Amino acid sequence: MSTIRFMEEIRRRYGGETIALCYQCGTCTGSCPVSKTSDRYNPREIIRLALLDNRQEVLYGDAIWLCASCYNCQERCPQGVEIAEIIFTLRNLAIREGKIPKLYEEFANNLVASGRLAPISKFLEKKRAEYGLPPMKPVDIEAVNKIFSATGFLELFSRSKGEKS
Amino acid sequence: MEEIKVGVFLSDCGGQLSKILDFNAITSFVKSIPGVTFVAQANEFWRGDGLKIILEAIESRQVNRIVVAESIPKVSEVAIAKAVEEAGLNPHFVEVIDLKDHCAWPHRDSPLEATEKAKAMLLAAIEKVKLMEPIERAEYPAVKSVLVIGGGIAGMQAAEDLAEMGFQVYLIEKEPFLGGLAARANRFFPTDDCAICIQSPSSLKTVANTSRKCVYRSGISELPNLKIYTSSKVVKVEGAPGNYRVAIEQRPRYVEIEKCIACNLCSNTCPVEVPDEYNAKLKTRKAIYITTPLVYPPAYVIDEKACKFHECAKCVEVCPTKAIELDQKPKQVILNVGSIIVATGFKEFDPSVIKEYHYDEYPDVITNLEFARMIDSFGPTNGAIIKPSNREPVKHIVFVQCVGSRDRRWNPYCSSICCMISLKHAIFVKETNPEIDVTICYIDIRTTGREHEYYYERARELGVKFVKGRPAEIIHDPATNKLIVEVEDEILKKFLELEADLVVLATAMVPPEDAKELANILGLEIDSDGFFKEYNAKLRPTETMHRGIYICGGATFPKDAPTASLHAHSAAIKAAKFLMNGKIVKDLKVAVVNEDYCGDCEFCPVTCPYNAISLVPKDNGRLVAKVSDLLCEGCGVCVGTCPVGAIELKHLKNNQILAQIRALLSINGSSKPLVLAICCSECGHAAVDSSGMAMMSYPANVRVLRVPCAGIIQVQHILEAFRAGAQGVMIVGCKPDGCHHGVGAQKAQRKVELAKRLLSEYGVEPERLEMLNLLFIEGDKFAEAAKKMTELVESLEFIKLP
Repeated sequence: MSTIRFMEEIRRRYGGETIALCYQCGTCTGSCPVSKTSDRYNPREIIRLALLDNRQEVLYGDAIWLCASCYNCQERCPQGVEIAEIIFTLRNLAIREGKIPKLYEEFANNLVASGRLAPISKFLEKKRAEYGLPPMKPVDIEAVNKIFSATGFLELFSRSKGEKS
Repeated sequence: MEEIKVGVFLSDCGGQLSKILDFNAITSFVKSIPGVTFVAQANEFWRGDGLKIILEAIESRQVNRIVVAESIPKVSEVAIAKAVEEAGLNPHFVEVIDLKDHCAWPHRDSPLEATEKAKAMLLAAIEKVKLMEPIERAEYPAVKSVLVIGGGIAGMQAAEDLAEMGFQVYLIEKEPFLGGLAARANRFFPTDDCAICIQSPSSLKTVANTSRKCVYRSGISELPNLKIYTSSKVVKVEGAPGNYRVAIEQRPRYVEIEKCIACNLCSNTCPVEVPDEYNAKLKTRKAIYITTPLVYPPAYVIDEKACKFHECAKCVEVCPTKAIELDQKPKQVILNVGSIIVATGFKEFDPSVIKEYHYDEYPDVITNLEFARMIDSFGPTNGAIIKPSNREPVKHIVFVQCVGSRDRRWNPYCSSICCMISLKHAIFVKETNPEIDVTICYIDIRTTGREHEYYYERARELGVKFVKGRPAEIIHDPATNKLIVEVEDEILKKFLELEADLVVLATAMVPPEDAKELANILGLEIDSDGFFKEYNAKLRPTETMHRGIYICGGATFPKDAPTASLHAHSAAIKAAKFLMNGKIVKDLKVAVVNEDYCGDCEFCPVTCPYNAISLVPKDNGRLVAKVSDLLCEGCGVCVGTCPVGAIELKHLKNNQILAQIRALLSINGSSKPLVLAICCSECGHAAVDSSGMAMMSYPANVRVLRVPCAGIIQVQHILEAFRAGAQGVMIVGCKPDGCHHGVGAQKAQRKVELAKRLLSEYGVEPERLEMLNLLFIEGDKFAEAAKKMTELVESLEFIKLP
């Protein structure tokens, strides 16, 4: 196991570079639509924990998965901390370690199987016909899977599934 | 004695005032006053043709006392006094009153009443000048030399400035070497360069070809008119501004500075080893030593407490230049200086009193200054960051902010520089030893200076951890020899136990232990935090209540190097301005003592904000007050304090105050009961000005008497106002802590409380007397209070004090 600080680990990854600039003013949390409705998600606190190298709590907690990616926090941060990007970086790190919530696992399964996050349901097709819309085109799954294997998604996904079982 | 002939000059401000005031009625009233020999009216009197009328009346000997009703009196009275003096009349025989802002404008809705008030105002001014006695102008020789106390950054800069301006300068330092606290600090923000770096005297540039250098190489000691005394302190100061006799005591160095070549042979030979205080006890030094190689003077010194002197004397044997003299005795030097600059700086607070941090118990808990010594390449570890307990390398450092500052148990103030010092140190550690883990525990990070915020930003970028929370305790684990810092992370509401090899305390910066003693010797004031108090924190930050004595640098508050330098240059300019003419010229608008009444009390010497009054023995051993004309600022606080009326102002005697009170209240002309407002001529009178300037109206029954400071007011003045017909009295002074003469507003407040009690005993409602503390910009408050007081006394029964 490397002795590198968790904060350093985040900072070296794409999207995590700006984390150290945070001075905990709370503009992000104040701007966050999720924080407004739930006290389970607080971006300032996630950054704080990360800066104190609290790897376990950040990566294995549920909080990082609640971000709605609206980017309000990032727009308003007075120190230029790319909070939304950091949340993605943290999610990537979590998945790498096999920590993936059920919902995201389903998304991933769907992607691999159909090229879509959510499968096309009968209900959806019926509704589209009612409104005179053409049926959804099937995704070129082969092409999608080529991208997945090129980017390492499949490997990552199977690893996280493997680690879990 | 020449007959008193008063000339009254009425300006109607370009016709503006005659629209409201009846100038014919006023003129005929003024003409009827005994002593008035000349009345004139013009558009303006403080310049041009109007001023010529005044001067011609003086030259033709038709008048020898002047009353001018003119707008903007604060400007016009200076211009008129100057012209009058050139015409051969004592400039203090002029009284300027403001019929515009004090009468016509605020009472424009009731012109008849305003006219009557104008008459009363003119009568009061005429009665005042009639009783005026000439005020002489005195000249005192001033020695063009300055004593600078303290050889740190501020002291050295001020000394260098003054010496280069041609003044004879004496720089004294209590330690054996110059440099002060700065010399130990290794590096300075915001430039990150050497802390002992100072400006080289520019007159030496051609020789030394340097602009700034360390103390050692700056050449400051080579300035022809700068004399440096190390190991010295002031023991006595006598004399007056411009001419002080200062006794300084110099401890023996036992080494002749002129002969010592700093070859180190003595120190190598010396058998005595003691802990090195200068280097945070991280190493030992010999009994004969220098602190670091880059010091001024570059000569060794003997530690009197450690040296065995003639029992050993090995150093004397080896010294190649025979520089060591073990029989040196302390010597006293008397200096004659015109001005004194106090630059005694500050020191680090001793954190051992904060028991929970165990500073005196755990060797691995050190202060920021000690850490600065550690990272100095000339320091005790040659720059290596180690655990003092076992000299092993350090993996985790925790800085603790606000140790002894912002702490009401020790020092309630923020020392202002410690955040920057810790940030500077944290950055230094991260840049030189990135593997060391650094945490700063803070309450608030304060980086208000130029480029200071970038330090905070840089520290975060370098991976310094910041924990918002003040550590509760530092615990030592004997098993691992590690320290545990217990702190609540306030942001996460989590209890943390930070492991540390080294804990650095960002201690408060406090006044040196001898500040109070020096303040007593110099007659200066110390503030509640123990620092030297300036005359005015906003506008006169280097001046003191004592003319001729200036303060700069850390002596007034902890400062970073740029601020201390600025302050020092400013103090040097003030001292130079004071002495540059070789004399001090002063109009003697001062307090005078009637020795027949004075004696057996010490109220005025204690109260005088300028330390101008001393007690001297008179015949039969009675002590009487003696006013130093040079130190007295003529505020009159002594007058208000004297229980027997034995002291009064030359420029505003008691009979002049009483005559004005009676005159102002002799004419009413309105249906409303008379109210007298006694205003200090600083903020109080200015507030009345501003209410008039802004055309705020208040009733014309309110009359204004101007005195130098509210502190002059005696209870008898207040009673006299009620006797003369006032139904209400307002005392208007500055804000209590903004009084231009220090204590005047507070003294007036006490007089008001006393007078209220007396009035109650007379059966007079105490609400008829009110104290206001106003600023110039609070004219609205004056107008409001004047209206309220009028309404109040209207609702009460008419009184007449016997």
